[in-house]
Parts: sequence; structure tokens; C-alpha cells
Amino acid sequence: MTLSPNEAADALRDMAAIETRSRRVYGYREASPHLILWGILWWAGYGLSEPWPHRALAIWIPIVVIGLAATFAISLSNARRRDAHVDRVADPKRRPEVARVRWGFLGMVLTAFAFIAATLAVMAPVTSRQVGAFIPLVVAASYAVVGLWQGLRFIVAGVVIAGLTLGGFFLLAPAHFALWMAGVGGGGLILAGCWFRGV
Amino acid sequence: MEQPDAVIHQPLRLKIMAALRGLPRGERLEFVRLRAVLNATEGNLGAHLGTLEKAGYIKVEKDFNGKKPRTRVSLTDAGRRAYADYVAYLRAILDGDGAAAASRRSRYAD
Repeated sequence: MTLSPNEAADALRDMAAIETRSRRVYGYREASPHLILWGILWWAGYGLSEPWPHRALAIWIPIVVIGLAATFAISLSNARRRDAHVDRVADPKRRPEVARVRWGFLGMVLTAFAFIAATLAVMAPVTSRQVGAFIPLVVAASYAVVGLWQGLRFIVAGVVIAGLTLGGFFLLAPAHFALWMAGVGGGGLILAGCWFRGV
Repeated sequence: MEQPDAVIHQPLRLKIMAALRGLPRGERLEFVRLRAVLNATEGNLGAHLGTLEKAGYIKVEKDFNGKKPRTRVSLTDAGRRAYADYVAYLRAILDGDGAAAASRRSRYAD
């Protein structure tokens, strides 16, 4: 039953490839509900901003708060599920997933807000249409970067979101940009979430 | 050189263990997704899951998701250790040094 060095190397390579594939399938499945959630929120936020552009801030603040609360709840629920299946007796030093999610989420939200606020302050004055294009581009870039490690579908989602955002910004009449982002931006995220779920 | 764990040594069982090792600790993979990841047939996969479960390396849970039956599989701590030992065994072959297996074992475990 002894293996040759070549057979051992092949086995290790195959095992690493399967671990990566499995990790990616898991990553897609975890990301799917978040994409669908934010797709619906984008659809609502941009859709309401179209008829009431001067109330965009009042529309978006509750939408972002709801989105962050729902994202946190989904992440926490997933972490609790993982914690419930870990044998604490076998690994008493392991830090609970719930604690990681709490601090990780807080750090991510603060970093994102700080980056977006600082960039908009540096670039000011900016129009609501520019803000409406900039934030999706940041999201798209984040997906593309995540995809470098987590799989091609994240990269495709990032490129499509960025392409649709830039297309709407530069090619459409300014009055129709919010409607465009509601339809293709929000709709694109929902479709991406369904695509991720189907892996 | 020590002999490998006969339960994991079988190619499809090794792939099952690798797929489950790719998940975060405590996470489960649905049977249908595992089958897709491994490109295996249902009957073959089911038989090898049974062998791994008997060895205590994996946990198989069956329930209903709504009205649809669902089977989910996860790696146990014993399975995680056995997989780490097998990786150490393979690395020792590459190094041409059976004694190296023991020292690598703990490093790969987490």
C-alpha cells in the first residue's frame, strides 16, 4: 500500500484542488442571500430615488440601516450554526465564530463607511448621481478582489455590476440613471445571488 | 515508514475528506453539493460515506428542508485528525523521511 513520491505528490495536489473547490462552493452559498438582500434594497433605494431625487438621503439611510441589520443577522445565524456543531471538549481554546462575526462585521462596516466618507469629502462637491455610481463601483471592486481568492463567480459579478454602473452613468440621460440602477443594478445583484445559490 | 490509514487511502474517500476539510470547522455540506464537487455517482458516494461514518470520521445528518429530504455531511474532530495524519504521511513520502510525519501532523491540523 506504499505510494511512490510521484503518487504522493499527485494525491496532495488533488486534495488541495478539491479543498479549494469545496471552499468556493461554500463561499458562493454563504454569499448568495447577501447578494439577493442587497439587490432588493438597491432596487427599492434607486427605485424610490427616481421620483424623489431630492429625498435620496432620507430614502437611503433607513434602507442602509435595514440592510446592515439584516446582513448582520444572517452572518450571526450562520456563525451560531457552525458553533453548534463544533466539539468544544475536543477544542476548548477555539474562539467562537459568533465573536469573530461580531467584531469582523463592526470592523468591515466602519472601514467601508470611513473609506466612502473620506473619498466623497476629498472629491466634494459631488452630485447624488456621482454618489449613486461611486458606491456600486466600490461594491463591484470588492467583489472582484474577493473573487481572486474565492472564485470566478465573484469576479464576474463585480465586472458586470461595474460595467452596468458605468454604462448607465456615461451613456444614459442623467434623469434615468436611478431607474437604470434600480433595474439592472438591483436586478443584477438578485440574479447573481440566484446564480451563486445554484452551484 | 508507517502504513497509511486504510479507510482514507481509498481515492474517493480521500476526496470526500478533502472536500469536507475545505469547509470551516463545524460546517456541513449537502449531499448533492458534495456529489457535484467530487463529480461522483450517488450510489458510489453513499457507500463510501457509510464507510467513513462507521470509522467515526464524518457525521451524516438526515432531515427535511420543508418537504424535501436533505442529507448533510460534516467532518468530525477524529476525521480532521485522521486527514491531517494522512497529509503528514504523504509529505513524509515526498521528503523521503517517515519520521517527519509526526512533526508535521500538528501543524496541519489547524
